[in-house]
Amino acid sequence: MAAESAGESGRVLDEGDGVELLAYLVTAARTQVDEAAEYAPMRLLTAAGRLAEMAEPAASASLRPLLREIRQGVSETAVQAGDPAGYVDRLDALCRTVAEYLMRSLGLDTSP
Amino acid sequence: MNDAVLQAIRTRRVARALTDAPVGHEQLRTVLDSARYAPHAGNRRLHRYVVVTRPSLLRAVRMVSPGMLQRPMAAIVICVDWAQVHNYGFAPANPGPYIDVGTAAATLLLAAHSIGLGAGPVTSFSRTALATILNLPAGVRPELIICLGHAATEQPPAMRRRGGSSWDDLIQWERG
Repeated sequence: MAAESAGESGRVLDEGDGVELLAYLVTAARTQVDEAAEYAPMRLLTAAGRLAEMAEPAASASLRPLLREIRQGVSETAVQAGDPAGYVDRLDALCRTVAEYLMRSLGLDTSP
Repeated sequence: MNDAVLQAIRTRRVARALTDAPVGHEQLRTVLDSARYAPHAGNRRLHRYVVVTRPSLLRAVRMVSPGMLQRPMAAIVICVDWAQVHNYGFAPANPGPYIDVGTAAATLLLAAHSIGLGAGPVTSFSRTALATILNLPAGVRPELIICLGHAATEQPPAMRRRGGSSWDDLIQWERG
């Protein structure tokens, strides 16, 4: 990432964490075949939350706020039923947070 | 009137966050033993119960269980012995074995609550992966996991759905 100083960016997951996330994603693909469609985004968000939790201890100072925001913004029990518009709004807010981080970290926020 | 049972039913909650305080062996035996008293049609003993307490095994179980939000200190996996179900003469579509998984699960959850443990059921897991991890005999399929531990003070929000039916809407008295 362009905005990271040397030595600040690097490996944020150990092999065990990587395997844990891998197992989660593969088995979630299988369980989702039998589950309600509204669970699909919830499972993806749980994976994002777990990834953020795993990465945070070794993450750079500039990345850590994003990881915290993702962990706080992810509710592992949130589903869209009953409030689809509000649910989409919350997901859009998370997407905006990620996009803003990308802009900063890639140095795109200062270029024309 | 002694309403301890009703009180237990009304105060039990699914624990989606657990502390790292251990579950004692006697506590585990007490919870496990309660399943003997769960209503099972015909008392046929078609179910198997696998107890998991080893941290590394619990971690592996959680890895293949996307619905397991909590990190349990112990788990009881309720399995159906489908070979026995077949021998008993059940048609494959008969829901009886699944219904009895439910009665066992409800009883285990209440038993855990009664001795101050936090517990939560999980059905979202890979049956194939879990059977492999637990080295289950052929024909024995895991159907539900009861996570056990001590409930954390802070819990993830419950799944709440706005609108929809009220409780009374779901009940029919006599003929419709």
